[in-house]
Amino acid sequence: MWQVGPLAFAAPWLLLALPALPVLWWLLRVSPPAAKVQDFPAIRLLRDLPPTEETPHRTPWWLLLLRMVAAALVIIGLARPVWQPVGAGGGSGPLLVVLDNGWAAAPDWPARVASAAAALEAAGRESRRVALLPTAPPETGDPISVTALMPAQEAAARLAALRPHGWPVDRAAALAAVAAFRRTNPGPLATLYVADGVEQTPAGDAFTPLAEALSAAGPLTLARAEARPARVLPPPRAEADRLMVRVLQTPIGAASEATVLARTGDGRALASATMTIPAGAGSAEAALDLPIEIRNQVVRLDLEPEAGAAGTVLLDERFRRRPVGLAGATDTSADAPLTGDLFYLERALGPYAEVRRGSVEQLLSRQLAVLILADREVPEGREREALTRWVEQGGMLIRFAGPRMAERPDPLLPVALRAGERQLGGALSWDRPQTLAPFPEGSPFAGLVPPAEVTVERQVLAEPSARLTERSWARLADGTPLVTAEARGQGRIVLFHVTANAEWSNLPLSGLFVDMLRRLVALSAGVQGNEGEAPLAPLEILDGFGRLGAAPPAAAPIPANQVEETAASPRHPPGWYGSPGQAEDAAWRRALNLTAHLPAPRPIAAAPTNARIETIGGVPTERDLGPWLLAVALLLLALDLLVSLGQRGMIGRQWSRGARAAAVATLLLSSAPARAEDAEAAANATRLAYVVTGDSAVDETSRLGLVGLSDFMNRRTAAALADPQAVVPGRDDLSFYPLIYWPVLPDAAQPDAAAVSALNTFMRNGGIILFDTRDEGSGDGMNPGARAALRRVTRDLAIPPLAPVAEDHVLKRAFYLLPELPGRYAGGQVWAARDQDRANDSVSPVVIGGHDWAAAWALDARGQNPYATIPGGARQRVLAYRFGTNLVMYALTGNYKGDQVHVPAILERLGN
Amino acid sequence: MTTVPVPWAEALGATLPPLVVQAERVAATVMQGVHGRRRPGQGDAFWQFRPYLPGDAASRVDWRQSAKSDRLFVRETEWEAAQTVALWCQGGPGMDWRSDRMLPTKRTRAELLLLALASLLFRGGERVRLFGLPRAFSGRGAMSVLAQSLPRQAEAAADSRIPRHSRAVLIGDFLAPLEETRRAVAQLATATVQGHLLQVLDPAEETLPFTGRIRFRGLGAAEEALVPRVEGVRALYEDRLARHREGLAALAAASGWSFATHRTDQPPESALLALHQRLAPG
Repeated sequence: MWQVGPLAFAAPWLLLALPALPVLWWLLRVSPPAAKVQDFPAIRLLRDLPPTEETPHRTPWWLLLLRMVAAALVIIGLARPVWQPVGAGGGSGPLLVVLDNGWAAAPDWPARVASAAAALEAAGRESRRVALLPTAPPETGDPISVTALMPAQEAAARLAALRPHGWPVDRAAALAAVAAFRRTNPGPLATLYVADGVEQTPAGDAFTPLAEALSAAGPLTLARAEARPARVLPPPRAEADRLMVRVLQTPIGAASEATVLARTGDGRALASATMTIPAGAGSAEAALDLPIEIRNQVVRLDLEPEAGAAGTVLLDERFRRRPVGLAGATDTSADAPLTGDLFYLERALGPYAEVRRGSVEQLLSRQLAVLILADREVPEGREREALTRWVEQGGMLIRFAGPRMAERPDPLLPVALRAGERQLGGALSWDRPQTLAPFPEGSPFAGLVPPAEVTVERQVLAEPSARLTERSWARLADGTPLVTAEARGQGRIVLFHVTANAEWSNLPLSGLFVDMLRRLVALSAGVQGNEGEAPLAPLEILDGFGRLGAAPPAAAPIPANQVEETAASPRHPPGWYGSPGQAEDAAWRRALNLTAHLPAPRPIAAAPTNARIETIGGVPTERDLGPWLLAVALLLLALDLLVSLGQRGMIGRQWSRGARAAAVATLLLSSAPARAEDAEAAANATRLAYVVTGDSAVDETSRLGLVGLSDFMNRRTAAALADPQAVVPGRDDLSFYPLIYWPVLPDAAQPDAAAVSALNTFMRNGGIILFDTRDEGSGDGMNPGARAALRRVTRDLAIPPLAPVAEDHVLKRAFYLLPELPGRYAGGQVWAARDQDRANDSVSPVVIGGHDWAAAWALDARGQNPYATIPGGARQRVLAYRFGTNLVMYALTGNYKGDQVHVPAILERLGN
Repeated sequence: MTTVPVPWAEALGATLPPLVVQAERVAATVMQGVHGRRRPGQGDAFWQFRPYLPGDAASRVDWRQSAKSDRLFVRETEWEAAQTVALWCQGGPGMDWRSDRMLPTKRTRAELLLLALASLLFRGGERVRLFGLPRAFSGRGAMSVLAQSLPRQAEAAADSRIPRHSRAVLIGDFLAPLEETRRAVAQLATATVQGHLLQVLDPAEETLPFTGRIRFRGLGAAEEALVPRVEGVRALYEDRLARHREGLAALAAASGWSFATHRTDQPPESALLALHQRLAPG
């Protein structure tokens, strides 16, 4: 190895050939090129030419230079030059590579491995032996240790097999491992420490001692990523109508942006929240606003662009919000502050569940997890039957006692009640108000501690029976049941023997009430409120990159009641835990998140003063220049060959004429107007088009939607549609497209005069524009202001009088017979031109709706639908595609199907 | 078979008037032609009246002349005979060469000129023979036969059967040593054959347009010459070619012959016109 500035040569002795170049120069100059052979009849006249003409042939200087450069490049290239070679840590003796492979190393892992690999290669060149020390505990559960000294190639293979883990590094253990290593290898030692730059414990971990121990052993090179903050996404905070997500990071000097993506189990992104972290700040917060049906589909949050276990949060059942229906005895008094039947229930459940109000019938008409009836009798008849059926299908009915129930018990109760209520501590009673007994084992409330100040003054009493004990989930201190429950079919009926307001007891005023209700709501979806010590086995485990995979053998089960307290470690890696038998049921899984117990990331302390600091990534690492130089030399030699051939006339006039013609043709082709090609491409196939809105996400959705629709139509119908085209009205020629999809954004500008005239011409000539405000059924929720924007956009367009699409409209029967025209959203109204309008054969030039059709049709590169339909279901998507098919058929065939209406009449006439 | 289609040569010849070869002394042939022999014989032109001699056929008496006097006269016509032109086209591989695909080979051009000349001669009633072939051609229909006989003509321009006082046209590149050409011309001149030499050359042979280091290879004979820098010898080559032409012109003049040159990139009409002027009387 011989180094000149940033350039080093691995085989410098080859450079000795460079002085031979002048000899080559002389040889090239004196030796003439091989003669070209030419037939010539008048050769007799050329014989015996005088020798004075035999002057040496002169190679042109530039050709000589070309050959000399090629020769020099070959020599230098074979000397294996290396640009900016990475030293193997300096010093002498073996090289120790310490690599942080905890969660903080995952985002730029390839750069870290490359940095270490470069050092290993340099060590290989210098024939030094290498030892590796990954500082995260290995997933086998073994203690951290330094590998044995080995050749660099072997170490490189080991290095390539290393992966970042989903748990923190343990530098104290690494320090112990280094000490053990030094005991067996006391000689000189060079170290490269590829550090992730994050302190793992609030008090500061053993980074400084470790670095000092390493620099004491020999020269220490510390490689760290300077500009890159380490980011952590802690589990979100569930609020009533949204998820609050927070991002923690090591403070950096510039403001940065972070995006949190909410994904479903199959990886589709449902929503995203972007936040800006100001310069120098350590955290930022943003809200993920999601409709309740969508929110319950979210199973993981991903931080972008930070990949890795620290940027991934798995959301289990605890983050679900369940719809809970509340019904009181009378509508009027139920909401009265402090005294109403539902006042406390609504406040207790609001933050954790979606609370719905209404009559029993209304509530049961939608999906409902829990129905709470507060002192409301269930009269015999339809309502009781509906309730019974709902409970037996898995519903959870929670009832609160009260004066009315005490008078008229009904069968929808877990236990038979005695008529009347029991009063404790009243004026006519010797009893004191009763406190709560500790919750029995096996009750869903087990583990909650009843506060002493909770007392019960009145309650309804159960008839004693043999099963009363097992049906009691909570008791008073004297043993009378307070909460009883009974399973009915797949569901349950739970009875609180007190009122839901503070009239009979002060239980609703306590925090215990909230906890009890939460457990009951959680119970409703099948999660047992108290799993006790039951072990949850690891089902799927997050690796350091945040990818789910099979659990390693060393991962151990966690007792169910300790999942929340467990920190991620090799023994308990982050991921999904549950009972293997119920693995397919998402409701039974519990998530162990790495970030739940991570402190806010802090940068590591300064390195020891004698350590050399290196930056990971960004700077060019060493580069082997040899192959490039040889390639350039080959190119030059090829050029020389061409020149020589030309000089000897072997590349004749014809060749050069052909080359010139080719060059001219290339020029002509490349300068031909691209617009003409576009038009030709557009005219050669039928394709759908969408209007470019300027919002890249919306445009991409439009494109994917039309791709999906074209694909559907190509499979199902005789129409052959090519890839969709983005158009800008007024700039592009619209005459090639039968149908233009136009998503209307709230900030859409009014089209200019050229666009208006182009669009009016398009509509007059039979084109159809599908306006989509993408807000159906959500009012102003999803796309506020789109209606106003639609009015603005269409102000100057020649829109005919509109009418709702009637039941017998051609749009509903052009290909499929459709009852409705849903997109991503269902319901609502679609508008088209009034049927009486005979212009254009009564084909409507516009179709207007707000169903976000493109999102429903969208098909991404993997052939999946990236957007969920709302309210959802495969049926809705199929109907959306069918509407698209009908619309394209309508655009392609006009009122052809409308004429079919008259077929019976025509047949009749023909028959006569 | 020759490479030149007969109609092409005839079309080329059609641009010129029929060629009657100038002849002071016509070759002694029995063929009737247009050249008067200045003595009585077969022919159309009146020659003289002579007194009737016993033995003359009565039908030969010219009664109109005899009626002018008491004596009987016989009308005699001049003996008119055709001139014979012997044509020769040089063969050999050297003639089959061309420097550019766009140009004809020298042989193609030489045969075209030969056939066009023959066509002119036939139209003028003259006879044409080829060197090395036993009989002469004459008449309109002889063109195709002549064209088919071209490959069978003699290698060298020497044929003892050429009648005296006939004329000869030799077409070729005449790049052989001057001595060979001189011998052929002298031999013909001894037989009192008047002639004309037409040298057909490729333009590359005249200008030597090559550059660089070239190994020239002769055609036919295995002969090579390596020229290190062709552009350096170009002037010398042109000088040598000029001297060679001067030698050809001199040896032609010495025998009373004429000499002309033609290049294959020039139109054949010009060479044909020159030949026509050279052979026609006056």
